[in-house]
Amino acid sequence: MRQVLKSIGAFIAFAFVAGGISQSAAHHSASMFDFAKKQTIRGKVVEMRWVNPHVTITINASASSGEAPVEWLMETTSPGNLTRVGGWRRDVIKPGDEIEVTFHPLREADKKSGLLREMKLLSTGEVFPANIRDQEKPGLE
Amino acid sequence: MKSATIGFAAAAVIVVAMVPSIACAQAPKKEPPVINPPPTAQDWADLAELPDWSGVWNPKITDQDAQVKTNPPPWNEAAARKVAQMFAEEKAGRPTLIFANCLPEAHPSWMLVTHNAMEILFTPGRVTMLGESDGNRLRRIYTDGRGHPQNSDPTFHGHSIGHWEGDTLVVDTVDILPEAPLAVSEAVGLPNNGDMHVIERIHLADKDILHDDLEIIAPHILTKPWKTTRIFFRQRARKFDIFEGVCATGDLVERVNADGDHVFVPVQKSEWGNTTAVPAK
Repeated sequence: MRQVLKSIGAFIAFAFVAGGISQSAAHHSASMFDFAKKQTIRGKVVEMRWVNPHVTITINASASSGEAPVEWLMETTSPGNLTRVGGWRRDVIKPGDEIEVTFHPLREADKKSGLLREMKLLSTGEVFPANIRDQEKPGLE
Repeated sequence: MKSATIGFAAAAVIVVAMVPSIACAQAPKKEPPVINPPPTAQDWADLAELPDWSGVWNPKITDQDAQVKTNPPPWNEAAARKVAQMFAEEKAGRPTLIFANCLPEAHPSWMLVTHNAMEILFTPGRVTMLGESDGNRLRRIYTDGRGHPQNSDPTFHGHSIGHWEGDTLVVDTVDILPEAPLAVSEAVGLPNNGDMHVIERIHLADKDILHDDLEIIAPHILTKPWKTTRIFFRQRARKFDIFEGVCATGDLVERVNADGDHVFVPVQKSEWGNTTAVPAK
């Protein structure tokens, strides 16, 4: 067991060191998020990074009323996947937009981050899903 | 005197005659270069006879998920122990980052666990597969009748040669880097450790469904060849055209510096790959 952990640890350590400052960009599992929990919060968009492999949205939000808004970080799938499963575009939101996000929070609950399930643009009521397992059929329009 | 002179002259002639062969024995024999012939008009016309694999192909991720349980690779004992540990770590919320540094998922793991679209191009003597999320997903399959090279020159996607059997492309790939993982998910996979050999039969299963029937031989980590079919479904709507995606931008954010220059600045990531903080504007 110790040998197995050692070799996996060495594998991770190599990836960490080889990545330099970046721990690093990659296609990664989502298991650091708690799939047993689902949370919804409303807030103002700070920034969306429309990047591969994972788009991120930073929002200023209060998890509960009375709480001062803090920055939450939503992570989701690639721009290509979002276009397919949720009708997203690069300009779907801009800084300052009021949105509501539903997400699976990070297991480390105090870290204020989540795996996005869907986003609602409050000005129009339009909902943008973000589940890569949706729309698994050909000929989508 | 005379005979000595003749003997000397004869010896000299022999030596001079031998010089070219001595020189040849020391210098390596030069192979004539292989030149890829330019395609003919017929070669281009022949492409029209191939099945239509145009469009954008999305992987069926729910099937990838299902096969983790229904069709696991026949791992050998040492590999099975490591794989079990990786599943446990993932379940505990600490998924191993097997695809780090924006390196390719490589062959065959790109086919096995990708979450991103791909497209397939036909040109004379070649089938080329291009994946979304930048040029680190690129397979060149040579269909010009060549064999595998004599000298080993391992790469992430290996050396692939293919031929058509009716509407099925049969592909043989060898010379994959031993570091390339054999993955069943984004958090579970092991380096193949060399000598991996992949045979594929790629064909349409329906009008807009592509199957890649893989047979994966990895003697250092599997007890026997592993067979699996991976499913892709086609999109033609222009909005789903594959757009440039550079994996390393996942580590970066666009900012304007004090000089007014648009630059990339690093974000913070966890050891498992998720973004943890983005620097303020």
